[in-house]
Amino acid sequence: MVTTSRRAMLKGTGAIAIAGALGAPALVRAQDKTLRIGHLGVMSGPEASWGLVNKYSALATAEMYNKRGGVEIDGDRYRVEIVSVDDRNDPRLTVSGAERLMGEEGLRYVIGPNTDTTATSVRPIAEKNNAIYIPYAFDKALYSPPAENAILGMIASYQTARAMYRIFYDQRDVRRVAYIARNDSDGLYQRDEGVKVAKKVGFEIVAQDIYEPTITDFFPVVANIVSLEPDVIIMSAVAPAHCPQIMRAAREMGYTGLFSAESAQDIKIINEIAGEYGNGLVSIGGASTPEIRSEYMDEFIEHYIGVAGEWNDEAGTKAYALEIILATLQKTGAAGIDDISLYKAAIPEFSMKNPFLKEDATVTYVGMDDFGQLRQIGVPMVLTETKDGEFTTLAIAGVAS
Amino acid sequence: MAAANDAVVNTLGNANRAGIARFLVVFLPLAFILIIAVPFLFADRPYWLNVFTTASVLSFASLGVWVTFSIGRVNIAQGAFALIGGYVVGMLTTVVGLSFWVSLPLAGATAALVGFLIGWPLLRLKGIYFAMVTLSLTEAVRLAFLNSASIGGPPSITSIPNPPGIGSPIAFYLFAAGLLLVGYAAVWRLQASRLGGVFRSMRQNEELAASIGIDIARYRVIAFTICCFLGGIAGGVFASLQQNVFPQSYTAADSISFMLYCFLGGLEFVLGPIVGTFTLVIAFELLRAIQEYQALLYGVLMIIVILFLPNGILSLAAMVGKVFGGRK
Amino acid sequence: MDQVLVNGAILAASYALIALGITIIFSIMNVLNFAHGQMFMLGGLTVYWVMTELELPFAVGLIAATVAVGAIGMFFEVFFFRRVIRSATREENTMLLAVGTALLLENIALSLFGEKHRGIPPVISGVHRLGDAFIPSNRLLVFVVSIALIALVLIVVNYTKTGRAMRALAQDRTATLLMGVDAHRISMIGFGLGAALAGVAGALLISVSGINAGIGNAISTKAFVMIMIGGAGVVSGALLGAVALGFIEAIGYAFIPGSVTYLLIFTGLILFLLIRPQGIMGKPWG
Repeated sequence: MVTTSRRAMLKGTGAIAIAGALGAPALVRAQDKTLRIGHLGVMSGPEASWGLVNKYSALATAEMYNKRGGVEIDGDRYRVEIVSVDDRNDPRLTVSGAERLMGEEGLRYVIGPNTDTTATSVRPIAEKNNAIYIPYAFDKALYSPPAENAILGMIASYQTARAMYRIFYDQRDVRRVAYIARNDSDGLYQRDEGVKVAKKVGFEIVAQDIYEPTITDFFPVVANIVSLEPDVIIMSAVAPAHCPQIMRAAREMGYTGLFSAESAQDIKIINEIAGEYGNGLVSIGGASTPEIRSEYMDEFIEHYIGVAGEWNDEAGTKAYALEIILATLQKTGAAGIDDISLYKAAIPEFSMKNPFLKEDATVTYVGMDDFGQLRQIGVPMVLTETKDGEFTTLAIAGVAS
Repeated sequence: MAAANDAVVNTLGNANRAGIARFLVVFLPLAFILIIAVPFLFADRPYWLNVFTTASVLSFASLGVWVTFSIGRVNIAQGAFALIGGYVVGMLTTVVGLSFWVSLPLAGATAALVGFLIGWPLLRLKGIYFAMVTLSLTEAVRLAFLNSASIGGPPSITSIPNPPGIGSPIAFYLFAAGLLLVGYAAVWRLQASRLGGVFRSMRQNEELAASIGIDIARYRVIAFTICCFLGGIAGGVFASLQQNVFPQSYTAADSISFMLYCFLGGLEFVLGPIVGTFTLVIAFELLRAIQEYQALLYGVLMIIVILFLPNGILSLAAMVGKVFGGRK
Repeated sequence: MDQVLVNGAILAASYALIALGITIIFSIMNVLNFAHGQMFMLGGLTVYWVMTELELPFAVGLIAATVAVGAIGMFFEVFFFRRVIRSATREENTMLLAVGTALLLENIALSLFGEKHRGIPPVISGVHRLGDAFIPSNRLLVFVVSIALIALVLIVVNYTKTGRAMRALAQDRTATLLMGVDAHRISMIGFGLGAALAGVAGALLISVSGINAGIGNAISTKAFVMIMIGGAGVVSGALLGAVALGFIEAIGYAFIPGSVTYLLIFTGLILFLLIRPQGIMGKPWG
C-alpha cells in the first residue's frame, strides 16, 4: 500500500515541523549573545513585494552587523538574528504571527506589517505583550495617543504630498491635477488625504478615478484622465507593479505631463515595462540615488543583492527600520532589549548620523505634527524624478518634527 | 396491530438511542479535547491559544459551508457573510454602542436575512455555476463595502471592543471552543433529523426529490440561510477578536479556504469541516518553522492529501471504522 | 468613444484566449480549472525568463511559454486529475484539486521568479491612430496574434480528428468511449491545449501590462465571469463572454465616475444568471 508509507512520511514531516516549531529557540543560545528582532509582513500573494523588501532589508542589515562581529550594546557584542513571519496580508494570520513573535518567542521589536488592515490587527497584541512594532501603513490612529507601541517606518503619503505639491506649484507651474487611486482602503485613504493637501496648495482637481488592484490593462482606465489634460497625474497607493503600466498607457495616448507617486517605486520595473515612457515620474525614494548615497549604502545594496538576488529601490526607504532599532538599543543599554519602556523613554533624545547619506544629516524620531507624539522614523524625504531610466534627486526634505 | 405499532415505536426508540450514542462517541472526545485538553496543555501559551481560537471560529463558519454541501452545492460565498457579520458587530458596538452579546446574534440574523433574500433565486443554479456565482458574490460584497465609503458608509471600522467579560486569551479561546461545540451539536442534530434526510435526498437527485413532493426551493434556501447565519456569527466574533473590520478582511481566497476546509476534512461527516480547518490552520502555523518554503509545502501537502485521501482526512477514520463495524 | 471601442476590442481578444482555454478543459473533463490564472501567470514569466536570462527574442518566448505551460497542463491531467476523477466519490473533488494546483503553481513561481512584478518593453514601439483612438503597435500585435490563435484553435477543434474526438467526449462521454476513442489521450491533449492557451495569453499580455506571481486568482475570477456570461463548456459562449466582458470593462471605466465598474459587473452578472442560469449560449439544464 502506497498510502501507508505516504502517511508515515506525512507524520514524519509533521513531527519534524513540530520539533522545529517548539524547539528551535533553544538551539541558538549556545554561542555568544544573540539579539533577535522580529519581522512580520506579507510575503506571498499579489502584495508579496512589500513584506519581502522589509525582510530582505532587515537581513542585509543584520548581515552587515554580524560580519563586523555583531552590534555592541553595553560592551557586549550581540549577533543580530531576524525571525520572519509571513502574514499573507490576512489579518487572522497577522494576529497569530504577532502572537507568535511577541508572545511565544518573546520578541520586543518587530518590523512590519504592511497595510492598515494588518497593522491595526497587531495593535492589541503588541500592547498586551509590551512590544514595539514598525508598520508601513498610514492610518493615523496607529501612531496617535493613546496608541504608543507603533512607530511608522517611512514617510506617510500625506507628508510626502505637502512637500511634493509645493514643488509642483512653485517650480513646475502645475495647476490641474488628476488622481488615480487603487481601489482598496489604503488607496482611498491616501487619495482623500492627498486631495486635502491639494486643495490647500490651490490645485484644481480635474479627476478622481479608481482602478481595481486586479487590473490587467490600464488603457481603458487612463483614457478618461488623459482626455482631461491635467498637468500631473497623481497615483495614490500605487504598487510598484502598476505605476509603470499607468505611465505607459497615458504616454501612449499622448499625455505629456508629469506623474507622481507618494510611495517608493522600483526603477527596474519602470524600465522593463514603461521603457522610453518612464520619464517624468516624481516619487519618494530612500537614500539610493547614486549622487547622494554613502559608501555604507553601497555596502547595504551589495548585501541586499546577496540576500534577495537583485536590488529593489523600495529598500532605500526600508533600510532604516533595523538600523534605528539597534541604534536606539545602544542608547538604552542591554536593559532595553527586554523592556520597551526604556526604549520609549529614549525616543525624544535620540539622534544618530544618517549612515546612508554622503552629507552630514541626522536621523531622529519625528511625528509631532501629524500624530502628537514622536512615533515615526525621520527617514529623509528624498524626492526623485525619473530621467532616462534613472532616478535623479529632485529635492531632499524631511518631516519637520 | 398494536404489536406492530409497538415494534415501530421500539425501533424508532432504538434508532434514536443509537443515534445519540453515535453522536456522543464523537462529541465527548471532541469536547474533551477542546474544553479540557487544549486549555490544560496550552494555558500559558497565548500564541497557540490564539491559533486554536482562530481555528475554532473558522470551523464554525466552515460548518455552515458543510450544510450547503449537504444539499449538493459548492458554496464559495461564506467570506461575504462573515464580512457582513463583522460589519454588523463593528457598527453596533462602536457607532450604536450596543453590547457585543446583543450585536452578535443580530450579526448572525442580518447575514441570514441577506442569505435568505439572495439565496432564494441564486440556488436555482447548480454545479460549477453556483460555485462561480458565489465566488462573484464574495467579490461583490467586498466591493460594495469598499464603495459604500463614497456614499457615507463605513469604509472600515477599527477599535471594536473585545466582548465584555472576555479579556484573556484563555477566556476567548473557551468562548470560541464553546461556540464551536454548540455549532457542531446543532449541525449534527440537523443532519440526523428529517430535514437532514431531505437535504441528502436533494443532494443525490433534486428532480427525484421534487417528484415525491418535496418543496426543494424551500429546503435549499433553509440550508443556505443556516449557512449564512453561521458565517455571520463567525465574522462577528472575528471582528471583536481582532478589534477591526475592513472590506478586505474577507476576500475570495477566504471563501475558497472555507470550502477547502470542508473538503479536506471529509464531506461525509459533520466533523469534517472541523478536522479540515484544524488540520490546515495548525499545519500552516507549524510550517512557519521553514519560512521560505512554508507556502510551497502547504500546497504540496494539500495535493498529497487530495491524491491519496480523495474523500477527506476522515475517510481514513471510516476505513478504520469499517473494520469495527462503524457506519459510513 | 472610438478609444473605448478600440480598448474593448483589444481587451476582448486577449480575454478570449483565457476563456477559450478554461472552456476546453471544462467541456472535456468537467473540471473547473481554478489554476487557470496561475497558468496565465507562468506563461508570462516564461517569456520574461527567456528574454532576460536567455536573451532570446519575444517570438521564442511565446513558443516556449506555450510549450511549457501546455506540458504542465498535460502533467497535471496525467498524474493528478486522472487519479482523482477515477477514485473520488464526488465530482467536486476535482475543483479542490484545481485549487491545490493553483496554490502550488503560485508558490513555485514565487520561489523561482521572486515577488517582483515583471515586464518586458513593448515588442514593437510606435503608436497608430484610428479615428480619435490611439492604438500602440504593441497592442495591435497582441490583438492580431490573439485573433490568429483563436482562429487556429477553432480550426483544430472543428476540423481535425483529435478535435472531433474532443467535441465527442464533451457531448457524450459514454458513447465516445464505446466508439473506441482513447479518452485518456484526448483528455491529456485537451488539458494541455487549455493550459497552453492560458500560457500564451499570459505571454502576450506581459508585453502590455507585466505580470507578477500573485496575479493568478484575479485572472481566474475574470475567466469565471466570462464563462458565466457566455455559458460553460461551449466554445461560442467563451468567445461571447470575452467580448462582453472586454467591452463592459472598457465602457465602464470610461463612463462610470468613481469606478464602481466591477461592483456593477458582479451585481449585473448575478442578476443576469437569475434570468438565464446557463449563460447566453449554454445548454439549458435542470
